[in-house]
Amino acid sequence: MDRFELRSQDFSLDEDQLAVRAAFADFFAKECPPETVRGAEPRGFDADLWGRLLTLGVGSMSLPTTAGGDDATLVDLVLIAEELGRVLAPVPLISHVVATRMLERAGAPASLISAAARGDFLVTLAHAPVTGGARQLVPDAAVATHVVALLDDKLVLLSADGPGAHVSNQGCTPLAWWRPTDGHDRTVLAAGAKAGAIHTDAVAEWRLLTAAALVGMADAALRLGVEFAKTRRTLGVPIGSLQGISFPLVDIAVGVGGTRHLVWKAAWYAQHEPGSRPELPLMAFDAASRTATHGTSASAHVHGGLGFSVEADISLYFLRAKGWSLLGGSTSANLREIGSVIAGAA
Amino acid sequence: MDFSLVELTRDQQIFQRTVRALLDEVVTDEVHEHERATGDGISVPVHLALGRHGWVMPEWPVEDGGAGLDPVCRRILELELARYQVPRIGLGTTRLVWAAVERFGSRELRERLGPGVADGSVRFCLGYSEPDGGSDIAAARVRAVRDGDHWIVNGSKLWTTGAQCCQYSFVITRTDPDLPKHKGLTMFLVPLDLPGVEIQPIMTYGGERTNAVFFGDVRVSDDQRLGEVNDGWTVLRGPLDKEHSLGPGRDVLEDLSSLRQYLRPLETALDVAVAWARDSTKPDGSGPLADAAVLERLGRAATEIELAVCTPGPLGRVKIGDVMIEQSAQLMDLVGTEALISAGADGALGHEGDIDFTHRFAQGTTIYGGTVEVFRNIIAQHDLHLPRASFPGAKVVI
Repeated sequence: MDRFELRSQDFSLDEDQLAVRAAFADFFAKECPPETVRGAEPRGFDADLWGRLLTLGVGSMSLPTTAGGDDATLVDLVLIAEELGRVLAPVPLISHVVATRMLERAGAPASLISAAARGDFLVTLAHAPVTGGARQLVPDAAVATHVVALLDDKLVLLSADGPGAHVSNQGCTPLAWWRPTDGHDRTVLAAGAKAGAIHTDAVAEWRLLTAAALVGMADAALRLGVEFAKTRRTLGVPIGSLQGISFPLVDIAVGVGGTRHLVWKAAWYAQHEPGSRPELPLMAFDAASRTATHGTSASAHVHGGLGFSVEADISLYFLRAKGWSLLGGSTSANLREIGSVIAGAA
Repeated sequence: MDFSLVELTRDQQIFQRTVRALLDEVVTDEVHEHERATGDGISVPVHLALGRHGWVMPEWPVEDGGAGLDPVCRRILELELARYQVPRIGLGTTRLVWAAVERFGSRELRERLGPGVADGSVRFCLGYSEPDGGSDIAAARVRAVRDGDHWIVNGSKLWTTGAQCCQYSFVITRTDPDLPKHKGLTMFLVPLDLPGVEIQPIMTYGGERTNAVFFGDVRVSDDQRLGEVNDGWTVLRGPLDKEHSLGPGRDVLEDLSSLRQYLRPLETALDVAVAWARDSTKPDGSGPLADAAVLERLGRAATEIELAVCTPGPLGRVKIGDVMIEQSAQLMDLVGTEALISAGADGALGHEGDIDFTHRFAQGTTIYGGTVEVFRNIIAQHDLHLPRASFPGAKVVI
């Protein structure tokens, strides 16, 4: 990478992007208040909300028009994912969209792709490549009947009659143990280098969209902390006027502002110059998982003891910062992948 | 949204080659050695060479001494100056102060100084901070008392970087101590060759030389005044707002934060650390890259740099300083003892002991142009709309 090359640094959204963001912000604000999030616990799936999202076309919008989609870009998807994260929406949108895009890229039968795009069945992806029969935790596998996995050098769609058994977890998400041997129907989607490339790209996309959701989550946690700090008083002044309170909140804002931009930039590169900066989605994910972890924790702390109680909405955010960012595996592994790209390319 | 490479026209390509050819010629090893030895923050020969091409004020029309550059060519120039590591603190302060001269100076002053600014022979530095207060500029106590068509200036300014290489300092003075804090201030462009001006160097461990500037009964002509008497705060705010990057309507070719340039040494340090990790051998024969922890630290440093580049405006001001300090220390820890070796000594890393330098340099980046705490206050009030803290003696937090 030439650090001095002359590139545009335009982080503005165009009218269509602003409209997409506004529409989904509006939808999620109306359809997913904190009671909906609490009501979906512990499995973390609101079928009604998911159904309404599907009628908006989220399952198909990012597919090519030739596959019945609208050619929505990764930039559109990160804008939507941020709004989803802002309200902690209990829907498997990220896994399902990423896995559906894998089906399309692998050239799966059109009927299968359109069924996934309509949400006739729920599909997710196994993040860790599989070489034996060892089980792994797969995000959203407690609601999905279909799992896309890289088995040795083949990309395979494995389907079962029902989803996996939910395991209780910190973030109240539909997490399940999964192994490729449990009575699944198998369809080989791709083999060899192509299979590996599709899987690698999909994992990066999942991290990118999850990063966007984590930005929304951290931003919402910040807003809760700021509103609390404006009204709560101590020693005759609002606590938000004290630098011991305001500076930690500012640091959340610094993290959110930068990470949002990094997510957008990573989405743009993945969309328009795929392959040229493969580390960017991973960087966005690393930054977002730390921004959300720090931001939700710091905001809960601003709430004092109230922020430690399950009644406070900030508790929902705190528990999902790790609850969402660790679904794809260890963040250290992600960091090592960034290091490998940097050490290979610099 | 757009991050694509800017396609250069034929003329812009020629311009880029012209800039590189000039910099190849004038930015010699001696220029870098001089900077390392003195910490001047400006290379006068390079500055004059830029001036000969109209590149000190590149957007000015050619007939005014500029080069009439379009925004793309201005950005080309900016990036090449960064690539060649041209010391350019003096360039930045000169441009900053000119913005105030242009807006508030008399026509006579503008016509007298403009050509010299453009050709590089007239350079400006900032006389803001004082020994009693750093970032609280409005607390200025340097006194200016009217004496006919002159003013008698007494007091001292601190952190006037570049004063030893500049002709004028942009000095904020107290002209009416009875008025409220922000009301009794007046700005002057004080010639530094006047009797009674004394410049004393202050060396920093960041490699930079800055100065204390003492004014003892210095007679400054009223012609050097900028703006109205006791309206100095308005004059100062113009360039300061520019420095704080609060203005809307940004040029998409420009960096998101005005202090993005401070990250450059850390980028170099990261590249040096990567080269060390790839190429060096430990006494037991193994290479650093075999250690997964090395990959993690390199990954984190690279991520934090990218994050800082993407963080906008005042948020970026805070992020850049924090990342400089944290990640330069991390790279020191990663490399270990070798990172301590000074430039020129056996085994120094990179060209100039780059990691060692960056770790020292980083400490200033949370202070330059106002401490990050000043910016955190700005963000708390303007972005988060948190209630303003009420402190005795501070009606306005800049």
